[in-house]
Amino acid sequence: MRLVIALSIALLTGVASANAQAIPSFIEETETAGIDSIFRGEWEYMVGGGVAVFDCSGDGFPDMLLAGGSAPAKFYRNVSDVGGELRFEEAQSGAELDKVAGAYPLDIDGDGITDLVLLRVGENVVLRGRGGCRFERANEDWGFEGGDGWSTAFAAMWETGADFPTLAIGNYVDRNEQMFPWGSCTDNWLHRPMAGERRFAAPLPLTPSYCTLSMLFTDWNRSGTPSLRVSNDREYYKGGQEQLWHVAPGEAPKLYTAEEGWQRLRIWGMGIASYDLGFDGYPDYFLTSMADNKLQRLVRPETGELLPRYDDVAFAKGVTAHRPYVGGEIQPSTAWHAQFEDVNNDGLVDLFVAKGNVWEMPDFAQKDPNNLLIQKPDGTFFEAGDTAGVASMLTGRGAALADFNLDGRVDLVVVNRHDKAQIWRNASEDAGRWVQVKIEQDGPNRDAVGAWIEVRRGDVEMRREATSGGGHVSGQTGWWHFGLGDLDAAEIRVIWPDGVEGEWARVAADGFYVLARDAEPVAWDPSDR
Amino acid sequence: MNRIRPFLAALILIAASATGIFAQERPSPDQILHNWYRMVLELVRHTPTYSPPVASRAFAYLGVTAYEATASGGGLASLSGQLNALTPAPEREAGAAYDEAVVMQAAMAFGVRNFFGNTGPTGQRAMKAMEAQLSKLTAADLPEDVVARSVAYGEAVGAHVLDWSMKDGGAVVENMGFPFDHALNDRPGAWAPTSLVVQQQAPLLPKWGENRAFAMPTGASCPLPPPPSFSEEAGSDFHAEALEVYETSKALTPEQTAIARFWSDDPMLSPTPPGHWIFIAMDILQAKKADVAERADLLARLGVALADSFIGCWHAKFEYDLIRPVTYIRRVIDPNWQPILITPPFPEYPSGHSTQSGAAAAVLTAHFGDDFAFEDATHVDEGLAIRAFPDFWAAAEEAAISRLYGGIHFRAAIERGLDQGRCIGAFATALKTVE
Repeated sequence: MRLVIALSIALLTGVASANAQAIPSFIEETETAGIDSIFRGEWEYMVGGGVAVFDCSGDGFPDMLLAGGSAPAKFYRNVSDVGGELRFEEAQSGAELDKVAGAYPLDIDGDGITDLVLLRVGENVVLRGRGGCRFERANEDWGFEGGDGWSTAFAAMWETGADFPTLAIGNYVDRNEQMFPWGSCTDNWLHRPMAGERRFAAPLPLTPSYCTLSMLFTDWNRSGTPSLRVSNDREYYKGGQEQLWHVAPGEAPKLYTAEEGWQRLRIWGMGIASYDLGFDGYPDYFLTSMADNKLQRLVRPETGELLPRYDDVAFAKGVTAHRPYVGGEIQPSTAWHAQFEDVNNDGLVDLFVAKGNVWEMPDFAQKDPNNLLIQKPDGTFFEAGDTAGVASMLTGRGAALADFNLDGRVDLVVVNRHDKAQIWRNASEDAGRWVQVKIEQDGPNRDAVGAWIEVRRGDVEMRREATSGGGHVSGQTGWWHFGLGDLDAAEIRVIWPDGVEGEWARVAADGFYVLARDAEPVAWDPSDR
Repeated sequence: MNRIRPFLAALILIAASATGIFAQERPSPDQILHNWYRMVLELVRHTPTYSPPVASRAFAYLGVTAYEATASGGGLASLSGQLNALTPAPEREAGAAYDEAVVMQAAMAFGVRNFFGNTGPTGQRAMKAMEAQLSKLTAADLPEDVVARSVAYGEAVGAHVLDWSMKDGGAVVENMGFPFDHALNDRPGAWAPTSLVVQQQAPLLPKWGENRAFAMPTGASCPLPPPPSFSEEAGSDFHAEALEVYETSKALTPEQTAIARFWSDDPMLSPTPPGHWIFIAMDILQAKKADVAERADLLARLGVALADSFIGCWHAKFEYDLIRPVTYIRRVIDPNWQPILITPPFPEYPSGHSTQSGAAAAVLTAHFGDDFAFEDATHVDEGLAIRAFPDFWAAAEEAAISRLYGGIHFRAAIERGLDQGRCIGAFATALKTVE
């Protein structure tokens, strides 16, 4: 192990306890931040409403593209100051297409400049980043067939040895079926690279498909080869369920079967969030739905092969988030985007869930507050959405938690249907310490999608998988955030997508670091902009 | 012996094109009824409050709506005075012309729109599309005054039935049927929640058995003997019943597994158990090209029998408030036991599917006769194979025993549920419909 400075065990212990239940404080700055975007549209936009968060200006501050539904998407350049109020300026980027349901950033061509994937009601579009927050259509150059579906989910990875990414795109119901749309789920598509070329082959249908609202390439069993998790909306499928696909290099995608241990689960699947909550090396998955949500923890057999079998621990952990906790409504909730981030920097990730009625469904809450579930040291969570200030009653859909003003505290943006997107600045005064890292490597997969980032804290190792996908039609690239509690330094390493384990290195708390492969961490100062 | 190979998907009316546009043919009343029921089977599945009891209620009221709309045209006796608290339907204008297709269309559109007013945006869109298209086709080439009069009358029948429905005790379903406050019984052997879903820590619709019944006097009209005395002692009758469920689950054959899955009929994922029997009836009626009078008669009787079944069954369920196999077996026999079906969130005794299947078999046998062989294609679009039965009771008995294979019911609940269904079904078969 290559330690810059050996860490004191004493320094690492008791991290979580000092700020274990600190309730974060968020200040809504929608009106002053310069954001004015509404996710519009009728039936074909009842799902969707995403946001892509990425830095396209090169200053380290996350910019964003907000889906507009039937209206054009809007791009906002981040002009916030470090630690200051959130400020954005709308700018023309070339990404202002209409019919956009969701957006994900990804450096597709490996040129070090973020590209964009736009999920649309109609043809999907990939946009090549030209630098300086300018984008141009690249469907034809990259052989990307955009199809003509109602696309509502995305995930990406680089298969072993590939020069181009593999994109999974999830589709919803056939929007042309008016009277009997149920059971008319459009096939999902797997866009793999064309052999030996830096462009996509014709997409493979992922049959059967069950009206997907979230997808995630994730190495659930740490085999080194990610599988594709697919969350499906039972409102529309017939004979469907949640899915897990084998996506092995050079082989046709293949569903995990009951014989392989996959357990049938049928929910109104709308979003996937993942994190290694149990510090056991394997990701847990939070699945959003209507009424009760699910938190799946891998069952670890005492002997034998690891199977994709999960216990639902949502009830035990206090994250069912099934009903409004404030506002007076008692009907069940409707959950969309979910994301784990440590919003109080106590070393324990918390869970944000965007909430909002589908469309005037009277049996579900109309005023449905977002959840901010704070993790306690015992692994359970408690609700703090109202006290933290993010319990919006607007009709939430996609969202992103990101440090927009680079002060080490994770901020929040939520896209609302038929209403303005909202943005909150995390102004917690009693937050713990933190570290944020950007990982990069040479070659086509510049941002190391599929890597694992690990941070040691006492006798546990916090870790997160550097994924591209999941959530509800919302994705982000850039800084990966870890709360450190009261530690003033941390050990950190990356397990790269090819399985090579980087060296442990010590970094000081409250800093940004670029972790390049085979290199020492390099501190980065946001004030240098 | 009759043998009908039904094919529901082959609709007479709906030769729907890729854009969902109907063939430009003027539909007959029976075709309109069939297509609205096809829609209802989807709406039941996709409307979150539509648990099986709630679904059965809608089938009853919509069946009566169709029946009264048809009967008012002549030749059939009204069900008013036969069904509890149902008053005579509005009278037609003497000597005036009505179009029966328009009457049926207006009545069913009104009924479906109101009973499924709480469905989601896609269901709303689908209902509107069907109403617009069928209304346009039925009115084609008819005099305006006939259309207006017929629409008004059909809607009046729909409103009459809707008004009748509002005070039956089942009109308002909150929180998907799960009470916000419910005191669990701490008696040994009492039902305990079986789910990790927070909403389901209280049982579904505990007051449903107090609803006004349709053809039977009350929910208590077909009582059951108590279940075997609760005991955790090995060798007791109760323990023996639990052991049967456990041991059966451990040695399930592929056929038993298929049977359990076929009759699982989970709410939100299928037309529900009452919808399953409605599908069977529709399929047979469609295959034999039944006229509207026969369809309306059978769909009303069957809907009434199914709805009364859930009232009677729920009355007994909350009288006995019995523990589910999964709770007992994990406590007494095997803490790691897992049934293959999801245990429904309400007490065990009697089995709801058994009661309502018994009632359905009684009604269908009375209508089509003994030894009426048929094939059941309810779940073809779910990928489940068609199952064939020599008669309706064979299907009902298979539906009933499927709950033991699925690990969610003991034998007593199954056998006595069928008995209760036979008793309840007799009230529906006794209804007089021929003048």
